[in-house]
Amino acid sequence: MSRAMTKRVHKALTDENLQTALTRLLGLIKFVRQLAFTGLDFESLSQEIRRVKENSIANLPQLVEQFKSQATKAGAVVYEAEDAEDAVKYVLKLAQERKVKHIVKSKSMLGEEIELREHLQKAGIGVTETDIGEWIVQLAGERPAHLVGPAIHKTIEQVAELISKATGQELGTDPQALLDAARRALRQTYIDADMGISGANIAIAETGTLVVVTNEGNGCMATTLPPVHVAVVGYEKIVSSWKDAAAIFRLLSRCTAGMKMPVYVSHITGPSRTDAIPGTMLHGAGGPGEVHIVLVDNGRWQMRESDEFREALYCIKCGTCLNVCPVFASVAGQVYGYVYQGGIGAILTAFLHSMDKAEEVASLCLGCMACKEACPARIDIPRMITRLRASLAEEKGLPMLNSMAYRSILKHQPRLDRVVRIGSYLQQPFVDADLMIRRLPGPLNALTQTISLPALSRNFLRDRLRDYSSPKLTDKPKVAFYSGCVGAYAYPEIGEQVMKVLTECGAEPYYPAEQACCGAPAYFAGDIETALNLAKTNIVALEEMKPDYIVTVCPGCAAVLQREYLNLTTAEPRWNQRARALAGKIRDFSQLLLELTPSMPKKPSRNQKVTYHDPCHLRRGIGVFNEPRRLLEREGFEVIEMADSDACCGFGGHVVLSYPELSKSVLKRKLDNIEAAGVETVITNCLACVLQLRGGLDKRCSRIKVMHSAELLASTFEITQ
Amino acid sequence: MGAQVAGLAAQFKAEAGKAGAMVYEASSAEDASNYILKLAQERHVKNAVKSKSKVADKIKLRKHLEKAGIEVIEADLKEWMAQLAGEKPTGRKTIGQVEKLISKATGKKLNPDPRVLLNAANRTIRQYCIDADMGISEADVAIAETGTLIIVGNEGVTRLVAVLPRIHVTLVESQNLVPFMEDVITRLKSLKGNIAGQVVPGYVTYITGRNTTADIPGAVLARAQGPAEEHVILMNKAARRGSV
Repeated sequence: MSRAMTKRVHKALTDENLQTALTRLLGLIKFVRQLAFTGLDFESLSQEIRRVKENSIANLPQLVEQFKSQATKAGAVVYEAEDAEDAVKYVLKLAQERKVKHIVKSKSMLGEEIELREHLQKAGIGVTETDIGEWIVQLAGERPAHLVGPAIHKTIEQVAELISKATGQELGTDPQALLDAARRALRQTYIDADMGISGANIAIAETGTLVVVTNEGNGCMATTLPPVHVAVVGYEKIVSSWKDAAAIFRLLSRCTAGMKMPVYVSHITGPSRTDAIPGTMLHGAGGPGEVHIVLVDNGRWQMRESDEFREALYCIKCGTCLNVCPVFASVAGQVYGYVYQGGIGAILTAFLHSMDKAEEVASLCLGCMACKEACPARIDIPRMITRLRASLAEEKGLPMLNSMAYRSILKHQPRLDRVVRIGSYLQQPFVDADLMIRRLPGPLNALTQTISLPALSRNFLRDRLRDYSSPKLTDKPKVAFYSGCVGAYAYPEIGEQVMKVLTECGAEPYYPAEQACCGAPAYFAGDIETALNLAKTNIVALEEMKPDYIVTVCPGCAAVLQREYLNLTTAEPRWNQRARALAGKIRDFSQLLLELTPSMPKKPSRNQKVTYHDPCHLRRGIGVFNEPRRLLEREGFEVIEMADSDACCGFGGHVVLSYPELSKSVLKRKLDNIEAAGVETVITNCLACVLQLRGGLDKRCSRIKVMHSAELLASTFEITQ
Repeated sequence: MGAQVAGLAAQFKAEAGKAGAMVYEASSAEDASNYILKLAQERHVKNAVKSKSKVADKIKLRKHLEKAGIEVIEADLKEWMAQLAGEKPTGRKTIGQVEKLISKATGKKLNPDPRVLLNAANRTIRQYCIDADMGISEADVAIAETGTLIIVGNEGVTRLVAVLPRIHVTLVESQNLVPFMEDVITRLKSLKGNIAGQVVPGYVTYITGRNTTADIPGAVLARAQGPAEEHVILMNKAARRGSV
């Protein structure tokens, strides 16, 4: 968290124009994605891209040599630039030697990264961006708000004003008229330009070919009409063959624009040429006489060396991760403060720009994993964000307060108990009769402005479940209950209900008293030592009575127990083995219930409609989303699907604490969807989500009840009994 | 038409149509020429530019349009010089002949220097492309899977013809349809007309449907910066054989 970022977030959230534009954009994106992905085998197509990119990056040194040799043979000039400065210097020198006065440029993220336009303009050369969105942003003197849609943050009124001013005419807000004016203005700039600059979406080694993709046609014109064509290309764009390029096309446009193929894909191999004039083969026939390809490193080779971050190079810059990112949906791209935005932006920024900037970008991540699920190159962005935070923590150390909290409190469960108990006394003056906290003093009040908080319990779950501390000797399946901190201190009654329902269903549940925090807060903040310590504590506590299952009510904890403990213990084989055994036993509450009672018949209808909110870590973290619905239906409830049931509630990461205003905005969309479902009860299988949704609905004075599946089921038993 | 080709044609037509192109299946050479002429007349086309196209030559498209009073300029350099000379673009010319032709066309007395001549020709042809109402191309390969046209050439004009005019018409022979994107490279490598030492033509442009933009708020608009209309004339064997 930084003060500058907090300010930018606030500005974006209160910018009415931006929020209007974003609402429109979200609708468009949803429509486009439905159009593009219905009936498509996304999984196998994305695996194919993954394979292509993995191979390309693995063989990069050879492919670079092949590309260089083929492109040179075709008459192009290839220059290898070490960093941004080197690349800019080459292009500037070339422009000056060719006495270039005006340049047309088609969109290039690398161009943004090395600030090519700015540098050329500073040297007195005119540069016009030719992608209409990019042109609008240039006219406004801003940075692009999205990888693919640079001007998505602008309203039609703002665009009308900018284009009117640029073309010297009084234009209204009719989109068609604005487009016509833009086309005419841009058309002349291609004709007048002395140089065209492009990036490349792909570079093909087998033939030395640049591939430039546009839907507007500007790429074709910018690379054909001017006498000199310069392409700035990141090394990671190189693939081996035309067939590899085809694999990328299969998803690229579906992701960017909902289309099967981009409208124009220009393959450029060397400068234009002709043998029509007798005597010689000449370059510069109806197209550029020179093609310069600037291959840019600027941190990319270093990224390639890193086992942890290499996969960021597989990014095909389609912008999908932004389209599905709940934070992006709230604040758009300019908030990030650098060219590369969203989760992948944090990683790219770290290598291509600076760690400080990257830390800011990463701090906005909710950890909802929507990007990971949608990425056509199967990049595990959330994993890299965690690693990034860890290496930042290692490098700079954690903030004093966090570090103290993790090392001296979280790590020792009795201390944590004590701290919570103190909290439960301190909260007293602010707790309302219904055990909710709706306002807090001083700066803490920022927390209760977004959501009402549940009062901390004084009667912890551990004390309530004293009689359940070990399983009885029976033939029933032994189920260890792992409650997580929210379950232990904020909602102990839900834990009791879990035990009740499990017993009712023929299991032998027990509550291992030695269990501690799963370590997620420390782990995700980068305090690996504390996380490992907690992992060991929990492995010991949970395996002790040899349970058949371990049931969780907090998928955040479940994901850590199941996956991250394996990662944490890789250096210690014996612990790793124990972690693996543990992982196989983890079940979500609903998942376990269905597994324990597979043949239980469907109950008669209760005439009660509920809606179900998919917790991020349950759906995308451990892949459970059918089971909770099936269980509800089996129990006689009618499940009404809300819109975007799997969108984050806004609680994730540190965002709820660091940027409460942002969390509130994400929560707002969720609550709107819940209310629109028109039911009285929303069910979710995550106690953190329960906390956030209850708190948010309470602020709205809504009557909609938020319950964990265990609570709902326990309530039906009460009725029957 | 074999069953496989027919299947590919149907798929191509559906996909290109979905992407915003207008696909017409010509039943004969006359049918193809007449369709294009009618289109040109309806759209008030006064002048057209044309890339090199064997199939257009076969159906004598240029003559057909010229007879109706539409100016058609060959944009490919060899074809243009042949057009200027009133010949077929087969025989090789001397530099002197080329100098005379280009000097006459540009109304300037030029040196018989290849570079000078090429620059003059470039300027003239480029202006024709900028001013043209219609561009006519041939796709040497087309992809059924995505409805994509593939237009190749070594001269930049192949792309100017395809992008600058407000109407773009592409002729495709049905036997040049391939099922998948992965099939394209094999075809490209085997194309005649690749300059010595070249593996693939210098410019290979994939065009799928009509150009669009979502950059102006409020709508996804067709005709961003390229043509307002993309027409595809799909020619089967019968359509290729005859002449007008």
